[in-house]
Amino acid sequence: MTIHDEIDNYLAADLHSDLSDEEQNALHVHLVECASCRRAHQESKIMNKVLEEKFANEKPDIAFEQRMLAGFRNRVPNRSGAIKTFVVALMRFRASQVAAVAAVLLALVQVGRMITHEGAVRNEFVSAELQERSDEAKDKIAPASGGKVGAFSKSAAVSSYASRNAPGNNPALADATLAQPEVQPEFHEESAPPSLMSVPAPRAKSASIDEKESEAPATAVTANRKLIRNAQVELEIITFDDAVQKITAFANEDRGYIATTSSEKQANGKLKGQIVVKVLPENLDRFLQKLRGLGELKNQTLGTEDITKTYLDTDARLKNARVMEQRLIDMLKKKSDDINDLLQVEKELGRVREQIEQMQGDLKFWDSQVQFATVTISLAEKDMEEPAKFLLKEHAQLALYTPEVEKVYNDLKALASPKVQIANAQLDRDNTGRASARVSMLIAPEESDGVISKAKAMGRVENFQVQTERVAQGGEGMSENAKTKRDKVELNISISRDEQEQAFQQTTLRIRTSAVDEKAKKLRDLAGKQGGRVRASSFSRDPDGREYANVTLRVPMKNYNALIQSLDSLGKVENVSVQRQDRSGGQIDEANAPADLSIQVYSQGNIVSSDTGLIATLRRTISQSAGAIMWSLRMIGVAIAFLAPWVIALVGIIWLARRIRSRRS
Amino acid sequence: MMEASEREVYRAAIHGDREAFEMIIRTQSRALFAIVYGILQNREEAEDAVQDALVKAWKSRWRVRDPEKFPAWLCMIARHRARDLFRKRRTVPLSEMPEIPGSETTQTTTIDRHLDSALASLPDLHRAAISLRYFEEMDYATIENRLGLTNGSLRGILGRALATMRKQLKPALASEQP
Repeated sequence: MTIHDEIDNYLAADLHSDLSDEEQNALHVHLVECASCRRAHQESKIMNKVLEEKFANEKPDIAFEQRMLAGFRNRVPNRSGAIKTFVVALMRFRASQVAAVAAVLLALVQVGRMITHEGAVRNEFVSAELQERSDEAKDKIAPASGGKVGAFSKSAAVSSYASRNAPGNNPALADATLAQPEVQPEFHEESAPPSLMSVPAPRAKSASIDEKESEAPATAVTANRKLIRNAQVELEIITFDDAVQKITAFANEDRGYIATTSSEKQANGKLKGQIVVKVLPENLDRFLQKLRGLGELKNQTLGTEDITKTYLDTDARLKNARVMEQRLIDMLKKKSDDINDLLQVEKELGRVREQIEQMQGDLKFWDSQVQFATVTISLAEKDMEEPAKFLLKEHAQLALYTPEVEKVYNDLKALASPKVQIANAQLDRDNTGRASARVSMLIAPEESDGVISKAKAMGRVENFQVQTERVAQGGEGMSENAKTKRDKVELNISISRDEQEQAFQQTTLRIRTSAVDEKAKKLRDLAGKQGGRVRASSFSRDPDGREYANVTLRVPMKNYNALIQSLDSLGKVENVSVQRQDRSGGQIDEANAPADLSIQVYSQGNIVSSDTGLIATLRRTISQSAGAIMWSLRMIGVAIAFLAPWVIALVGIIWLARRIRSRRS
Repeated sequence: MMEASEREVYRAAIHGDREAFEMIIRTQSRALFAIVYGILQNREEAEDAVQDALVKAWKSRWRVRDPEKFPAWLCMIARHRARDLFRKRRTVPLSEMPEIPGSETTQTTTIDRHLDSALASLPDLHRAAISLRYFEEMDYATIENRLGLTNGSLRGILGRALATMRKQLKPALASEQP
């Protein structure tokens, strides 16, 4: 683009001093050269002057802004308050918009909860009750604790709340804790102010005594108490005998002894057993510690039974009984004449002595129990669960097709022997006389291969599946040493008539020939030669002299090609279509698999119809032309229906375009 | 780019600060007047149109997100308002319009009348550009910004507008030439 081409733009920019120095120079150079542009430049300058003058006259006056402001204030009164302004400003931000939406949703949820009396109402109820209870507590504590009411009521309220919240706690309990709030301070005796100490309730005292008692040295307690200690330990060890020896050694070290031992050998050769050891109670913990070194600790329970009370009771009763015995003896020593009295006393004495003996026995037993702690150790060697052996179970499924179901069925039954047991045999016959059979047999492992191959030879094998299962015995999991044994093979055979078998390959074809009936007969012969069987055959003739013979054959696959080739001798083979279903599995005997052929043998019939003559021809011609006219009419209708919407749309667009153009002009 | 203080004023106005908006009225209404006058060629109508545009801008100020774009947006509202008014009176052709006493000066000359008709024949964008230039003596970049034009397109617009006018006014100018 040269300056000349763009002279209008340059002139305007020059007038308004929007040209760069470079552009200005270029323009001036051009103006010197170009007369027409020079003229335009002159005119532009004049027009610019005129325009400047005109606009200078039209400029708004000084009061213009004031007028605008006044008008604005007049039309938009300043009524919006600061809050509204603030809210409007706030709502401009995306974050505040999101927050507002969230708040509205939250409010809706709360309203929903209030309406459904859920949550909010319950909280109200709880807090009201809490208040009530703390008030109650205050009343009770006030007289006792003087100025410390605040602290107490708070702790009481907290405890009541906690007890209420605890599952399964009943309100009466909470009341009980509330009713004796004075127990609380005793636990903080050290930190409690002296004013609290001066007003202890009687119950609080007893509580503090209990507390002190329980804090007494453990040794003093155990010295007076009768405690039976016992422990159960479950260990997994490498070898049982080693462990027993070591346990014996440990027991001797801790001045104990082995009370009983028992052991048991598993089917997989592993040992497990139980040892009961008695050790001195004070050595129990050390003994248990040592046991852990023997093997992997599976389980350990340590129990202590306090029989002090029972023991003391029994002891007291024993003393009483002894006194009683003494008195009875004294009575016997007194001479009495009445033999009845003597007998009575003797009888009573016997009863008391029996009691004494029983009580002495109990005490002795308890003494022994207390004297020694009982440790029951269950030992099990590692890999206890390892199986002893594996059993290989084989399940075989065999499906056979045969023309003679019954014969095969009987042959299979004849295989029975001590090593081949027929578990189940069943022969079904439907209403058309077709038979199918099922035989289940259990075969000794060494015979199984032979029997299965014999059974297979009895017909066409459609399917044969063997499923082997390895079953662990006497344990679970894996084992390196366990033996594997073959179990009896379970063989299920199903026998079906071969006609029910699906064809491996299906072929349809047509043969054009002149003498249909004869050729069909020949076809059947050919099939017979190739080991095929005719499954269906039909013959028909239509009025025009066309003849059809439909023959359905089944031949073994191995003869299929020979048969197809021999068909050429019958006539012209047409429309051959083959369909094959390849079965997965690969166990199919393809050579003997059946192939179905459905063959149509036909003749063309008379080319010239029997219905001849001038009138017949005329009639046909007219009817055909009428048909042609109707057909074309229909086509025209279709064309109109197809084009009409397009034509309408096109006309509409053209009309619209014209209208727009006329508006513009 | 806009100065920071200026942008702050626009931002405040967008957020509903009335004082800021009044400040904008003080500074921008002449430019708006120029645009509107360029389209309407009538002072009273132009003042009304500016008023309307300001009220409308105040009411819909929240639509502007970027303060930088506020002046251009304001000009756009004014242009739309002016065009609406112009369209309403479109049935009366410009040349046959009744003479409005206020706009008539005593020194109305032939060249002025020719100038008016030449201006009236221009598209309204061209007229708005011319009036912004001659009323407010704005530089090209500012005019482009106000009218929402791309950078550098104003030179072409003004060049074409002035050329058209020059051709129309040629006879009248010839007589004016000394």
